[in-house]
Amino acid sequence: MSSVGTIIRAIFVKDLITELRAKQLLPTIVCLGVIIAWIFCIAAQAASVDVSVAAGAVLFIAMLFAGILASDKGFAVEQENDCISSLLLAPVDAGDIYIAKLLVNIVILCIFEIVTVPAVLILFKVTVSGRWLRLIAVLLLGNIGISSVGTLLGCIVHQTRAASSLLSVLVMAVLMPIMIPAIVALLLLFGPVVPQTVGAGTFGIAGDFKTAIGYIAAFDAIFVTVCWLLFGLVVGD
Amino acid sequence: MAEKLQKSAEPPAVDVAGVSKSFGNQLVLEDISFHLTNGQGLCICGANAAGKTTLLRIMTGLLQPDAGTVRICGFDVKSQPQQAKAKLGAIFHKSMVYPQLTVIENLRFFALVYGVRNGKAHIQNLLEQTALMPYRYDRADILSRGMMQRLAIARALVHKPIVLLADEPFTGLDADASNHLVTILNNFKDEGGTIVMTTHDVNLSLQCCQYVAVLDKHRLIFSAKVSEINAAAFANDYLSYARENN
Repeated sequence: MSSVGTIIRAIFVKDLITELRAKQLLPTIVCLGVIIAWIFCIAAQAASVDVSVAAGAVLFIAMLFAGILASDKGFAVEQENDCISSLLLAPVDAGDIYIAKLLVNIVILCIFEIVTVPAVLILFKVTVSGRWLRLIAVLLLGNIGISSVGTLLGCIVHQTRAASSLLSVLVMAVLMPIMIPAIVALLLLFGPVVPQTVGAGTFGIAGDFKTAIGYIAAFDAIFVTVCWLLFGLVVGD
Repeated sequence: MAEKLQKSAEPPAVDVAGVSKSFGNQLVLEDISFHLTNGQGLCICGANAAGKTTLLRIMTGLLQPDAGTVRICGFDVKSQPQQAKAKLGAIFHKSMVYPQLTVIENLRFFALVYGVRNGKAHIQNLLEQTALMPYRYDRADILSRGMMQRLAIARALVHKPIVLLADEPFTGLDADASNHLVTILNNFKDEGGTIVMTTHDVNLSLQCCQYVAVLDKHRLIFSAKVSEINAAAFANDYLSYARENN
């Protein structure tokens, strides 16, 4: 039998090769991200609102939709020709399949952000000079959160042959504990919003950058662990 | 059924004992039992929706039975799934190969997942056996039905299993492709492999199985050694029976 590392690497490489050859997902999510940012930017300018305030929320919404599409596509590939059964027939722990799929989704979101983040920064006229590491930390933790839930729910939706639109609703509802602190962290990085204002307002649960990052990291850990444990039940009988 | 199949001193490669399965109120399988030793082949015939595929999926561990046990080479499919799966290869209606990967990439991927040692040499051997060597760099999604079925067999055999489960392997194949498949299955059996196959094509399956059984009304209603029956008469009788029941 193969080691856990070999199995995860094999599934990870297979999924990346499949995506690079199909050329379906990455162009779609990159276009979607840029279009979302552009539409919000036009709307904010038309309303004579300071566009930079919306940059963080727009970026996270784009990440969310990209993550949902990536999760959906990740299991559509396995359903084609009933390939998921061939993986389940192998002496492979379902948790290893989950980790490999999770890593693929995280990498796809990272590639998506390489294009989308500069687009958002330009369109919304915001700068992050000197705060790049903080931005990367928020994006990476956001990617982990979105992918952890998306990977599990993507599998459920495909196993039960439910409509893919159900995936978006489920992912957004479950990800609420990550969405709020992630948007707050991005607002603090991008905007003219002062931390005290944010802390006293709607997002009181994550009033400063470190608290917001802490919340995201904690929920990431919870989501990854719970989803990893549940994955075996979802793909099983 | 268990009594009718030849008993041997060897531990059974396949041991199905008292397997029952229902989906909701619909009974699909009831008290199915049989065992096979290394090098034996069993062909299970039955009308559509008789429960043949369900039985094979239970034997792989993809479905759990309501009652009964399945052991592959002594390993319980439910309590020792990793060990049982390592001994088991299976082909179902769908090819279970990745269409965007080439023939050789598919085989390399599954060899890695199963942890096959000397995978390169074994894959070369499988490509030659299945006559897929000239197509090894072709993507799976451009293969014909016959080539796809050969790739599915190669995938199922990539980890050198002891037991091969084949669900209607001849469906959609022309005469040449079917005969080639019979040769591959016989080679596998000659090397000590055990085959359990479900099929409607009795004539072909009797060429690679020593035992035949009929699944009807949730149970195995008939079982016999192929050498002890008139194969041609059985095939004719089965065809008439299948026409009446489908």
